[in-house]
Amino acid sequence: MTDNSKSFFEFEAVISSWEILLKGFAVAMFAATLATALAIILGLVVALMRLSTVAIYRWIAFAFTQFFRGVPLYVLLVWVYFGLAIAVNINLSAILAGVASLALLNAGYLSETFRSGILAIDSGQIEAGLALGMSKQDVFKEIVLPQAFRIIIPPMGNQYVDAIKDSAILSIIGVPELMRESQQLANLNYQPFEFYTCAGLLYLIAVALVSRGTNRLEKRFCTQGAQN
Amino acid sequence: MNGTTESYIEIINLSKSFGSHKVLDNINLTVNRGEVVAIIGPSGSGKSTLLRCLNFLARSESGEIKFQNRSWSLNSEGKRYKGKKYEKTLSELRSDVGMVFQNFNVFPHKTAVQNVELGLIKVRKMTKNSAREIAIKKLEQVGLGDKINQYPDKLSGGQKQRIAIARALALEPKVMLFDEATSSLDPELVGGILEEIKRLANTGITMLVVTHEMGFAFQVAHRIVFMDSGKIVEVGTPDEIRNSQESRTRAFLSAIL
Repeated sequence: MTDNSKSFFEFEAVISSWEILLKGFAVAMFAATLATALAIILGLVVALMRLSTVAIYRWIAFAFTQFFRGVPLYVLLVWVYFGLAIAVNINLSAILAGVASLALLNAGYLSETFRSGILAIDSGQIEAGLALGMSKQDVFKEIVLPQAFRIIIPPMGNQYVDAIKDSAILSIIGVPELMRESQQLANLNYQPFEFYTCAGLLYLIAVALVSRGTNRLEKRFCTQGAQN
Repeated sequence: MNGTTESYIEIINLSKSFGSHKVLDNINLTVNRGEVVAIIGPSGSGKSTLLRCLNFLARSESGEIKFQNRSWSLNSEGKRYKGKKYEKTLSELRSDVGMVFQNFNVFPHKTAVQNVELGLIKVRKMTKNSAREIAIKKLEQVGLGDKINQYPDKLSGGQKQRIAIARALALEPKVMLFDEATSSLDPELVGGILEEIKRLANTGITMLVVTHEMGFAFQVAHRIVFMDSGKIVEVGTPDEIRNSQESRTRAFLSAIL
C-alpha cells in the first residue's frame, strides 16, 4: 500500500472503536424507535381530534400539526432542552428531551398520515357497521382502523426511517447517539471521513432493515383482502 | 295486503333537503307487519334517501318515523332526539332493521364468516363460538357454506352480496331494507340475488325494497310506492300501479317496461 491510499482510508481506528460506535448506534435506534412509537399514539389522538365534531378539538389538533410540522427539529430541541429549563425550570435529560422532540415532530406528520388514511375508507363501510347497530366506537375500532392501518403502513415506515436519520440531530444537545460519538471519535483521531462513512453505513443498514420490516407488514395485511 | 292492518312502520310528514334541493318532500307512508313494499321511481327521486332515513343513516329535518308505535325521531316531549344517549337508542333500532346496500359494503379485511359474526359479537354481545355457529348457518342458507373462510376480494359480486344479506339476517331483524341490492351486479348474477330476496319475502319478514327491477317488484311486492322528485306520487298494489291513471307513473313504467 502506498502512503497516499493509507491516509485516504484508514479503518484501524474505526475498528478499534467499534464498541463506542455500536453503543451510539443503539442509542440512536432506541431514541428513534421510542419516539416513533410515541408519535404513532400521539399522532392517532391528534388525527381523531382533527376529525372530531367538536370545534375546539379540531382547532387544537390543527395548531399542533401546523406547529410541529413547521418547526425544525434543531429549534425544537433547543426549546425543549434549554428553553424549558430556563423558562419553567424543567430540566429534562438530553435523551428525554431528544425523544420528546422527535416524538412531537413525527406526531405532527403522522397525524396527517392517519387522518388521510382514515378518510380514505369508503363511507359505505362505516354505514354498513352502523346499520348493524354497532356503536361509532366499535365501527371505528373494528372496521375503519384496521383498513386505514393497511393504507398507512408504507408512510408510517417512511416516518420511522426519517426518525432514525433525524436522531443524528440529537447530537446538538449531547445525546450520546451515533452521530455525536462519530463526531468525537473523528476529532480525536483526525479521521472524519472514515468515522462518518462508518456512521453512514450503520444508518443505511438500519434503514434497509426497517424497509424490509414494513414490506413484510404490508404484505401480511394486504393478503387479507385487497379491497371491497 | 290481506288480513289485519297493523301499522308497523309509520313515516309521518318526512322532509329532507340537501342544500336548497328537497330530496324528500313531506313523505307519508305506513307499512304493515309482514308486508313487502317495493319503492320504484326515476333516479334522484329520493327512494334511497327515504330508505336511509328509516334507519337514520340519513337524518330528516322534519317529520317523524315510528316503529312499532314508538317514535324514533321525537322524544316524549315532541322534541327531536339528539346527543350521545340517542346514539345508543339508534343502535337498538338499527339492530332490528337489516340493510343491504347497492355496493355490498362487505368488510374487506374480514373473511365471510367474520363479516357475519361481527354484528352478533358486538351488537348482540354473543360469545365468539355461538356467533360463529350462527354465522356459518346463515352463510349456508345463502349458499356460501363452502366459502366461509374466504376474503371478499376472492369472491364475485353476487357472493359478496350474499355475505351482506347473511350479515344482516344474522341479527334476526324485524325489518329488512334493500337499497338497489342488484344494481351493481353483473347481469348474470342479478337473478340469484333476486331469488334470495324473494325467498326472504316468503318468510313473512317486513321488507322495503328499492329496486329498478320492475318484473321483480311487481311479482314480489304486496304494495308498490312510486316516487318522483322527492314525493310519493302513488301507492298501490301491483295491479293498481300497473293500471295506473297517473300520468307520471304511466310515463315511468312505459319507459322502463
